[in-house]
Amino acid sequence: MTVPLISTAVVGHEFGPYDVTIPAERASAYAAAVGGDESPDYGDTLAPILVVAAALTELIENLGLFSGGLQTIHAGQEASWARPVKIGERVNAKGRLAANSVRRGNHFATVAVSYTDSTGAEIGTSSTTIIVSGEES
Amino acid sequence: MGNTSQRAVGDSLAGFERLISQERVDAYAEASGDHNPIHLDESYAATTQFGTRIAHGMLSLALVTEMLAKEFPDSWHSGGKIKVRFSAPVFPGETVVTYGKITSIDDSDEGLIATCAIGCKKPDGTDAVAGRATVPLQ
Repeated sequence: MTVPLISTAVVGHEFGPYDVTIPAERASAYAAAVGGDESPDYGDTLAPILVVAAALTELIENLGLFSGGLQTIHAGQEASWARPVKIGERVNAKGRLAANSVRRGNHFATVAVSYTDSTGAEIGTSSTTIIVSGEES
Repeated sequence: MGNTSQRAVGDSLAGFERLISQERVDAYAEASGDHNPIHLDESYAATTQFGTRIAHGMLSLALVTEMLAKEFPDSWHSGGKIKVRFSAPVFPGETVVTYGKITSIDDSDEGLIATCAIGCKKPDGTDAVAGRATVPLQ
């Protein structure tokens, strides 16, 4: 079994950058998943939390958390956004392992992510805390 | 809604109910790219601690942000912040309810900032997601 990155990565480890551009079909899928009569009209922009979710998917894969036998709990999430993002607008996400500790056999990891547009300007941030169990020691 | 400058501490946000069907979970997997079988594959999910498929935690959080975007259309996507804990899984077939209340309004260098207690409750009243959000009011 391949050793997942979460077992070896130290605080400060960098992830990405990932291209988390959201095309129209994924924005439509988001509307189908989340939307209802109460939903706001986003026009040609995205719900920023979808960009955060796209980056989280990349991070989880990068950390090796899709490895067989591991169970991951998404314990906490922070996000902030400076401006709306348009559907199809190029967004890069770059992560940094902010914490990674082992308690009672479970990994507790926090990854901070910065989102930048095509000019390099930061347009959002997020921080994800996960708990991973089932790892062979 | 939308007239954010006339908000007051104690104001409730307009929460809503949403049935979390497996179809919504499947659509969320397409949107987010998160195809973890715990959300999609019943036979796999049966082997996990939950015993069945669970919705993405981010799907519940997305519902909370829908509420905030509707309540604060001028500012949520331009200065909004959120911090939550995921307390309990949501199972497909459950109807969840979003909620929120303004707990403080503070003057800052960026103008008035509202802090809201927000979350999303399961049918039994427990929180699936809970935390706080801050939103500029001007």
